[in-house]
Amino acid sequence: MKRPSCLLLAASSAAVVVLAALPASTARRPRYGGTLRVEIGAALNSLDPATPTGNAEEAAAKAQIEALIYDHRNPDGTFSDPGPFRIAEWEPGKHATFAANEDYPGGRPFVDAIEIQMGRAAKDRLVDLEVNKIDFAEIPADQVRRAAERGTRVSTSQPDELVALVFIAGRPAAGDPRIREAIADAIDRPAIVNFILQKEGEAAGGMLPQWSSGTAFLFSTAPDAKHAKELWLQIAPSPKIVLGYDSGDPQEQAIAERIVVNAREAGIGMALQSVPSAGSADVSVNARLVRMTMASRLPRAALANFVSALDLLVGLNDDPLPDSASPEQIYEYERSIVRSFTVVPIAWVPQVYGLSARVRDWKAPGPGETWPLADVWLDSTGEAAVEKVNP
Amino acid sequence: MTFRSKLFWIFTLALVLSVGLIAAGVTVVARRAFDESNQQHSDALVEQFQREFDRRKLEVAHRVKGIAEEDPTLRMAIDLARPTTDVSVYVNDARGVANSHQLDILDFLGNNGSIISSAENAARFGYKMDWVTQPADGKPVDWAAQGSFLMKLDTQDGPVLALMAVSTVRVADKDLYVVGGERLGKEFLASLVLPAGMRALLYLNLDPDFQPANLIDMNGPVDQAQRFAPIIGKEREQPSELTYKIDWTSDPASAEMFHALPRRGRQNELLGVLLVGSSQRDVVLLEQRILELALGVVIIGVLIGLLLSWWGTARVTRPIRKLAEAAHEVSQGNWTVHVDPRGGGEVGQLARAFNQMTQQLVEQRERLLQAERVAAWREVARRLAHELKNPLFPLQTTVENLQRAKAQNSDQFEEVFRESTGIMLSEIENLKAIVGRFSDFAKMPQPELGTVNLNEVVRSVVKLFEAQFGAVGRPPITPELHLEENLPPIQADQALLHRVVENLVLNAMDAMPAGGVLMLRTAHENGNVELEISDTGTGLTPEECDRLFTPYYTTKQHGTGLGLAIVQSVVSDHGGRISVESESGVGTSFHVELPANPPHKPQVFPMVFEKQEVS
Repeated sequence: MKRPSCLLLAASSAAVVVLAALPASTARRPRYGGTLRVEIGAALNSLDPATPTGNAEEAAAKAQIEALIYDHRNPDGTFSDPGPFRIAEWEPGKHATFAANEDYPGGRPFVDAIEIQMGRAAKDRLVDLEVNKIDFAEIPADQVRRAAERGTRVSTSQPDELVALVFIAGRPAAGDPRIREAIADAIDRPAIVNFILQKEGEAAGGMLPQWSSGTAFLFSTAPDAKHAKELWLQIAPSPKIVLGYDSGDPQEQAIAERIVVNAREAGIGMALQSVPSAGSADVSVNARLVRMTMASRLPRAALANFVSALDLLVGLNDDPLPDSASPEQIYEYERSIVRSFTVVPIAWVPQVYGLSARVRDWKAPGPGETWPLADVWLDSTGEAAVEKVNP
Repeated sequence: MTFRSKLFWIFTLALVLSVGLIAAGVTVVARRAFDESNQQHSDALVEQFQREFDRRKLEVAHRVKGIAEEDPTLRMAIDLARPTTDVSVYVNDARGVANSHQLDILDFLGNNGSIISSAENAARFGYKMDWVTQPADGKPVDWAAQGSFLMKLDTQDGPVLALMAVSTVRVADKDLYVVGGERLGKEFLASLVLPAGMRALLYLNLDPDFQPANLIDMNGPVDQAQRFAPIIGKEREQPSELTYKIDWTSDPASAEMFHALPRRGRQNELLGVLLVGSSQRDVVLLEQRILELALGVVIIGVLIGLLLSWWGTARVTRPIRKLAEAAHEVSQGNWTVHVDPRGGGEVGQLARAFNQMTQQLVEQRERLLQAERVAAWREVARRLAHELKNPLFPLQTTVENLQRAKAQNSDQFEEVFRESTGIMLSEIENLKAIVGRFSDFAKMPQPELGTVNLNEVVRSVVKLFEAQFGAVGRPPITPELHLEENLPPIQADQALLHRVVENLVLNAMDAMPAGGVLMLRTAHENGNVELEISDTGTGLTPEECDRLFTPYYTTKQHGTGLGLAIVQSVVSDHGGRISVESESGVGTSFHVELPANPPHKPQVFPMVFEKQEVS
């Protein structure tokens, strides 16, 4: 959070370098005012904590907005303490305006208001960013390269979202570990990252990313189609595997299609079926793709959160991870999950944001963090140099 | 059946046959013409379909070539020719290009045939399409010369058939392959421009066996696809252009003629069968209309023909009918009938001849009657003279003897007078008997009918003459009776019948002075009773037979000539008839035929004398 003292510090710092620096340095000085224009894909109809959201995208968007207007979340799920913004306008599912909270204990936000247009498709958000119609939006990872080529400022977080294939507990075809292993071996994870995610992410062999656990390199991500074929030939009769994916997520669909292609090339009969949302367990599918965001930078907390999230689908909590688990124990726990092939990590995907040229001091949030929009200020000079947002 | 009816039916039959043959001929010729026209129409449509198909092939090749020649494709080829190129940037390009060029299938392949971007199967990036880079006959395929071709392709939705074309972009000895195509599916079929009444079906030969679901039309899988199994089976065995007719229902108009066009791939393998179907509804309805028209013409023609035949036969047969009626009148004795000899043809000549004939008959009858009357009177006079002469001569002699005795005053006068008066009385009795017989003939009584058994009559007559058959001093006559036991009784006058049989037996006995056999036979047939009396006497000449029943005609020295005349009169009064057959030196047979129930009014015996048979 920025405070007046910070402004003074910034001003003095600017004064120090003003003689040696160029006029561009004046653009680095935070300024108050302006309206931050935001577009999101979700269409929220209510901010009432008691009203459930329709899908994961809406839940994430709701959490982001709640972080703007509330400062503290109670253990019972309710909120206390007003946040840096307050609701000025609310049109359910379409539009919302949040005005800066002048009395916010952490200091008034730099922008006067945030306007959020809801229900905007990723393609439309990208176009609006390109034409400077908006200042901030989430963009799909596979669109990063195209967006950057078109001049859009892109901010990328650490890859903290796990795309994984999970075999749903209790389904006949998922009961044989050879089936699960054959499918896991058939998947060409690097190709998925390179082509579908356009290299925005990492191939996932384990349940935690390398930047978090430091042990991800110990899990193989290379495909082994030969072994997959050998395993599949041992299974008679060959079951038909139906892979479910979120019908509202094109990226997930592309990954699922690639998995099916990999499986078929290995001789594994696999079909696709779209399912409504990540949380449901459609009875006709044996396995499905899930996307899970790390709840914490800490390996143990993140892993425990994943296990908890997958509990309903896969049933992994037979032997919970101790609170004081050592890195070795975390690795072994992670390895036991991966070796069971009930959860097949596919890729780590970063959160990617598009920014207009006037957005300053944006920093991509880490796991468990929300958008730091209260720290962002808008450069109204119109000729500001583009701020480098990625490390 | 009357002559008119016969003529009418002959005319009608001839007319019906003629009209029917003409109608059938017209129908057959028309049907052949329609079939030929329909065949030409179908051939033209199939040819049109082929041209449309070929045009689509050219179009696909043209579109793929167009993509290869576009600047972005060239830039992609240049980029790929570099040693360290990141091909992942192109992974989503194919879909957009395919959409803009209206292609269902589009793949960009690297120099080694690996997929860089795929529109129809975006997830197959990195995998190879070996068939593109594989050489044919040891040489690289010249895709520019290959044009478009049919191919089975694996997609996310399973195998499909597509019209494919390949174009290459060569940069620095490295090829970028542009593989594009149009899927052969219901959309393709829907896009084909076909005339009304035609439809295009496509069988996708993707499975080892016939699969009904693989037969599609513009709306998707075809109903009752199993009906196409035979023709698809034939195509799978030996691909060739075939025609196949399917009757969807019992209604012939529901039939559909299909031309099967096998579609082969680059290796000449059968990949699909296009079925161009043309509805037979119009043709069948047209043929039915012609048939109905022909039938209507036949019916109207026959009706008109019937009327014309009826009128014509009536007109033609009217003189004939009048002639027949006139002839019937003549047969009934009305010889004065006259026929109107209208017209100058054969019928007119016939009518004139008929009139002439009847006129001559009348004249001849008059002459004959006069001659017969004269002859009869002469015969009567002769017989009367003869009959009267016999008693008159003794009378004259007796009277002369009596006169001589008176004149001589003889003592014997008393004796002579007594003898003479006795002789005279006797001769007068003879004269009275002669007159009585003539009187009897003139006064033949009308028969008094009653139930009579002819056999009994015959037996009583034979019994009456039994003594005479074997009388001493004359040669014996042997009677032979052949009487039918079940002879039905008849209605007749028994006394008159007795007289008939008696006269005939007497006649036979007179014909056998040297003895012989007298055969009497009875029988019945068709409700009539027959009597035959035959002798083995001297027989009669034909001339004698002709005049045998003429009154007062006799061949005997002392006969009156009335016996057989009386017989004939009685038979005629009973509604029967009598005939005689005779052969000189062999014998004579009389045949009497009597009805079981004679007519109420006895027939008047006409003054007609027939040769052998009189009725």
